[in-house]
Amino acid sequence: MVNRLLATVLLAAVLATAALGGWAAPYDPTDPVAPPWQGSGPGHLLGTDALGRDVWSRVLSGGADLLAVSVTAALAASATGLAGGLAAGWLGGAADRVLTALTDLLLAVPSLLLALVAAIALPGPAAVVVATVCGGAPLTLRVVRDAVRAVRTTGYVEAARCRGESTAAIALREILPAMKGTVLADLGLRLVVAVQIASALNVLGFGTPPPEPDWALMLRENMAGVAMNPWAVAAPALALGLTTTALALSVYLATDRDPRATTSREDTRAGI
Amino acid sequence: MARGLRPLVRGALLLAAASVVVFAATALLPGDAAQLRVSPGATDEQVRALRQELGQDAAPWRLYTDWTAGLLRGDLGTSLVNDRPVLDAVLQRLPATATLIGLSLALAAPAMLLLGGWAGAARASRGAAGAFLTGGAAVPAVVVAAGAAALLSGVLDLVPAVSLLPPGTHPVHHPELLVLPVLSMALPTALFGAGLVSGAVADTVSRPHVVDALRRGRPLWSVAAVDVLPFLLAPFTRVLAVSAGGLIAATTIVETLFGYPGLGSLLVSAVASRDTPVVQAVAMLAAAVVLAGLAVSDAVADGTDPRSRAW
Repeated sequence: MVNRLLATVLLAAVLATAALGGWAAPYDPTDPVAPPWQGSGPGHLLGTDALGRDVWSRVLSGGADLLAVSVTAALAASATGLAGGLAAGWLGGAADRVLTALTDLLLAVPSLLLALVAAIALPGPAAVVVATVCGGAPLTLRVVRDAVRAVRTTGYVEAARCRGESTAAIALREILPAMKGTVLADLGLRLVVAVQIASALNVLGFGTPPPEPDWALMLRENMAGVAMNPWAVAAPALALGLTTTALALSVYLATDRDPRATTSREDTRAGI
Repeated sequence: MARGLRPLVRGALLLAAASVVVFAATALLPGDAAQLRVSPGATDEQVRALRQELGQDAAPWRLYTDWTAGLLRGDLGTSLVNDRPVLDAVLQRLPATATLIGLSLALAAPAMLLLGGWAGAARASRGAAGAFLTGGAAVPAVVVAAGAAALLSGVLDLVPAVSLLPPGTHPVHHPELLVLPVLSMALPTALFGAGLVSGAVADTVSRPHVVDALRRGRPLWSVAAVDVLPFLLAPFTRVLAVSAGGLIAATTIVETLFGYPGLGSLLVSAVASRDTPVVQAVAMLAAAVVLAGLAVSDAVADGTDPRSRAW
């Protein structure tokens, strides 16, 4: 219980910093303000990078875009998987078989390779969304499908059918509330994978363009000066690592007592 | 016999489907090599002429059949950027990447079994072991790579931060260049795989024969080797196959970050320069290896399933 609270507080702190940190930055994150590669010192908490930009300011403002793209991608993957899972679980039969075959096909491809192939024609953020949906929605679909099949023949759903309620009403009022926890936990895992894909594309140069601050891009930009100012690499690495770890741990601890949750743990990674 | 062929047929069908996806993503969408190659300010007329010269103006289905027929003959086309045969570039870089993936898998596989066994056996108490693997596996590959470089190269100065391999030399002759790339690939893979293995271990140790063997007081190592390991063969092969797919994808990040000249960095630079034949060839090679791995793991699962035995 205490662990769960800790993980949630850590997650909230990281997300709030990423979303709002830009306003608290002491300097403009794209302006050179001091000599390059200064170590940590007064005025510049985490020193400066190759162009003399303030690392602390860049860390504070470097997570907003990354997380916005990742959240969009995770929501899209979760919504697609939810719709597919409801259809497969509720309809059964041919629809179920077709959707299951499609998920098997999509799961065979590593998401990062998909993202790279998509990046040839699409801008980086769109490639992140495409790869997260193709790699993540099938997993959501499986989880939701199983959950729907489990509640389909329970008394309260049968009662709703006998009352003559429409399929949409049953799905919204009877089935979805029953698996709220499952869907939320799965959304958390989609978000972890989305951050992994987005950071990979940014490092490879298909995402946020320089000179914009971005945690993943900073890793690559500052690698050359790691001996002079280790914080320029360590700080963005910590920010990225804390974000995904706090997310995954929150999901892990929240689903601790839920026996169904073990099935979905299989894929906390994007095949990265 | 028919049973044994099933994974093979499934793999071949999936590979055909993958070829359609790769082709559609690279050839039909905008981002055209002809537009990329013409000098700035070229007229539409000139772009069209170049497209014709590059053979990119035929009907899409025609381009697809030509391309797959070429793949089956071993003809991967020529690079749009330097006009060299794609096969040469792929063969030149294949040993470097194969070494990287092989070493990473060799390092990660035993770690998976040990960590997975530990976490799986401790699952009754939950908490620490599972949380460690879950949290660790969630760390993005770029962070692991950057962290390893910062520590081993930046702070401790043990290995070079850039793994530039002289052209034509095999990476085995420069082991110091392999340390950072292999570590950056093996560490996340080991944690990820251990998480998967721990589930199978937890299921196996709660089986009656294992519980019984422990109650009889047989030593732990003998129970682990005789009663637990055989049950892990099928799931572990599956984990290895999935991990190999993940490692192939990870080469793009790791090779680019460390400047290691393999297929992963070739794919990244080809995507950046819209060199579609190279992207298609490397993506298909990766898909073929991933699907072959999954087919092998399916065959092992079929072969070790007690229900499939003939007696």
